[in-house]
Amino acid sequence: MLDSGANTGGNLLSADEIALYDRQIRLWGLAAQANMRSAKVLLAGCGAIGTEITKNIVLSGIGHLCICDGHVVTEEDLGSQFFLARDSVGLKRIAAVRERVVELNPRVALSFEDIFVDTMDEEFLAKFDLVIGTELGEQQISHLNKLTRKLNIPLYVAGSNGLFGYIFVDLIQFDGTNEKLQSAKPTVTGSVSANREIIKVEVHTDDDDDKKTFETIMTRNKYRPFDEMLLNATLKGQLKRRQLKRVSNVLPLTLTQLQNSKLLHENAEKFTENVRTMCDQLGIDQGTLSQEYISQFINQAGLEFAPVAAVIGGVLAQDVVNILGKRQLPLNNFIIFDGITLDMPIFEL
Amino acid sequence: MPRETNIVKILGQKNYEKIRNTKCLLVGAGGIGSELLKDLILMDFGEIHIVDLDTIDLSNLNRQFLFRQRDIKKPKSTTAVNAVKHFSNSKIVPYQGNIMDSTQFPLHWFEQFDIIFNALDNLAARRYVNKISQFILTPLLESGTAGFDGYIQPIIPGKTECFDCTKKETPKTFPVCTIRSTPSQPIHCIVWAKNFLFSQLFAAENTGDNMDDPNKDWGTTDPEEIKRIKQETNELQELQNIITAKQKERIPAILKKLFIQDIEKLLLLGNLWKTRDKPVPINALDIVKSPEDEKLDLNNIWPIQQQIQNFINVTEKLIDRMPKENNFIEFDKDDEDTLEFVAAASNIRSQIFNIPMKSVFDIKQIAGNIIPAIATTNALVAGLSSITSLRILNLLKYAPLKDAKDLNMAFTAKSSNMSQNRYLSNPKLAPPNCKCPVCAAVVRGVLHVSKKSLETFTLQKFVECLQSQYEYEEDISLLDMTGQRLLVDFDFDDLLQKTLSELKLHDGSVILLSDDSDRDDGMLKKPAEFYIVVSGSLNEEKMELPKLNIPLLPAPPSTTDTEETSENVDTVATTEGGQEDVITILDDTDTTSSKKRHFSDDDEGPPTKAVKQAIDDDIIELN
Repeated sequence: MLDSGANTGGNLLSADEIALYDRQIRLWGLAAQANMRSAKVLLAGCGAIGTEITKNIVLSGIGHLCICDGHVVTEEDLGSQFFLARDSVGLKRIAAVRERVVELNPRVALSFEDIFVDTMDEEFLAKFDLVIGTELGEQQISHLNKLTRKLNIPLYVAGSNGLFGYIFVDLIQFDGTNEKLQSAKPTVTGSVSANREIIKVEVHTDDDDDKKTFETIMTRNKYRPFDEMLLNATLKGQLKRRQLKRVSNVLPLTLTQLQNSKLLHENAEKFTENVRTMCDQLGIDQGTLSQEYISQFINQAGLEFAPVAAVIGGVLAQDVVNILGKRQLPLNNFIIFDGITLDMPIFEL
Repeated sequence: MPRETNIVKILGQKNYEKIRNTKCLLVGAGGIGSELLKDLILMDFGEIHIVDLDTIDLSNLNRQFLFRQRDIKKPKSTTAVNAVKHFSNSKIVPYQGNIMDSTQFPLHWFEQFDIIFNALDNLAARRYVNKISQFILTPLLESGTAGFDGYIQPIIPGKTECFDCTKKETPKTFPVCTIRSTPSQPIHCIVWAKNFLFSQLFAAENTGDNMDDPNKDWGTTDPEEIKRIKQETNELQELQNIITAKQKERIPAILKKLFIQDIEKLLLLGNLWKTRDKPVPINALDIVKSPEDEKLDLNNIWPIQQQIQNFINVTEKLIDRMPKENNFIEFDKDDEDTLEFVAAASNIRSQIFNIPMKSVFDIKQIAGNIIPAIATTNALVAGLSSITSLRILNLLKYAPLKDAKDLNMAFTAKSSNMSQNRYLSNPKLAPPNCKCPVCAAVVRGVLHVSKKSLETFTLQKFVECLQSQYEYEEDISLLDMTGQRLLVDFDFDDLLQKTLSELKLHDGSVILLSDDSDRDDGMLKKPAEFYIVVSGSLNEEKMELPKLNIPLLPAPPSTTDTEETSENVDTVATTEGGQEDVITILDDTDTTSSKKRHFSDDDEGPPTKAVKQAIDDDIIELN
């Protein structure tokens, strides 16, 4: 479970660490940096997105990262994973990436495990404060999520399909704090959506300029498990009619893929039918969903692509750092990215 | 399956071959640059040229993932290229240099690229590359980050907004009197300690503050106060003598002068304190030297007695350094002594004016103009920038680009507290702003002149050529945009007999020709901007003017009236723009000149007016 207390006493950063992390401490403060140093994170899957996440959170100065991956490096991997080199092909991924990951930030404790998600059990996962899964199949996500729920550990899952990507977040329940300049209409406590509620607002003036008033807002976020989200995902009642019209097609396509990824490859027709059913479930218009667009998605399903991995890995790692450092509000709970239009909406499903 | 399997599926075989033959320029190998280099390599761009001026610093390592502790002080560009070798399938060419150096990077050098990626950290270079892209009509992908915030903007010259079509935030500036007499925020005291006190004491000939300038904007019209500021400046020169004469025993006299006597004089100006809290001078009894303590925690705020102690100790250290450094020490945020001096001096002043003191850590950020930077935002922005290049180059099999305005820009909406349900905001691109002095409001061309002609052509002859070629009437003005000087206009003809080389026009100079005539029909020729390329032999006289169609347009409304009425900015706390005589905190990387002005900020009036105004100001100051 994530340590929820203030965590600076007895955990002071050294002068060297302050100098190294200077540019980020100026953003999130010493306490957040110290909190991050005490966190243990598990990353399952070191493909393109996993590589990006590894880079980002190792650089940020997290305490411990355990990278799990059972794959053997293929030629194709070289096209999107920058810890690999030509001579990595045929090696186990964790063996091939190890040296370059260690070099990235010697202050981070690292461990590497040659296992897949399927064989992870409660005992193994209980050692971690947070779990990230990338490029997993739906059964694997479901398996992982059941365990993280049971152990009360936050979970992030991400994947990509060529130019498209998604992030699923299950923090179970999380109180996040953010600070913003007070607008003409002060923030009040109370529910802001089905799963988010503002539970506390503190007001203070800026040290340097007493005309500026800031609000520190604490928001309680509730999350749904993966299986339940897929079953009940809907935007009805959440979005206005005009907003529903503009929802990206990537959403129903991705959710349908997560319901049954095999179908996408084996029976495009049935998959298309299910996508249309998903549109109805979500309450969005199927009119804009062209057959061409569906073919494009199917054609790119499961493909790793470096710039999309950079976007997804950047956003996911940022959120991990935020919740470990207890700054900014966490994502809640399903994010998609469309690499053609750069659309990146956040849905509460 | 081969390495390129995935990208071939996304782009199609034909487009994949195109990307293998695409040559791109990446300007910057820092935070965004490291990330972009990695992305462009993995996208299999055929050739990537990467330019960076900087060397690697410890504080880069939290995000610039291609660099290690052992690389500190090495050049970024070459180090980055070595660090990507193991996964690169592209030809990569590194350059250590300033992208604005037209000798190393002349215009024709830029012309070899199909697309340019900006990964810069300062406004001046962004503007420069933007302008270059407008001259050579090469698409530019602009990007930037600050902490959690980031953006990308594709720029298709002539079709979409350029970097300068929207007003950019300029460095924050303060009127003289706020800094010298009536500070009310920590930053005012820090500016005083750094830009005024420190430079006066340790880098004296560099202040460039001309107190006798009749046009100087003091931010006040009170003659008493101006007199006081002038007198104080003269007295400061005496303090400087203490430093250069190495009279360490007189450091307490410096403290007494700055923090007791000057404040007492200030208190005599009753007008100043009618609506403000009166400052309280420090206690003379606190000015004592005691043995130096052990290292203090730079993250804490120390009591006033400690600040005074530090002031004495660090001033001694700086005095010891002066002879070894030619009596000239510049403020540098990473030079501990200079930072601690500024911290101590600004905190003592803050205490006097009842302003909260700050830790050395915080003062470093303000005085050094440090912008927080993290790996994740850079990775995100570089990912967006590289993926968008595929659309600009029209390489996406399923999403052919019909109109440049269908491209999207993007910025971080959630992190910037602008939206709860969008991580990114992705508006479509706008057409060029018709008033933009960089893209839409000028005609642009490249002018070739031989080395010989540069030596022999007088400005008069040059102007005549331009006038006859482009059918301008008699009254024109010509500005050297690179040197920020007026060359000629209807009431300034002193330089006409000088040759072009005497006027320091060179390969890479940009000049602006504008119509100054006073026609009855109120029409004016559109201004024309020329990039000068010097080529050819020393023996042959030759000049080639580009074929341009320069239209006649209705003259924009005059801005003279507003200029005349806005002379008193008296009690305004901060002023925007570069035309007041103000103390400016410059961008981290703009270390070349404290007089640097971003003169194209005025997007209201005609472009030449703003430029000329700024140039006139500079001439007055230099005399």
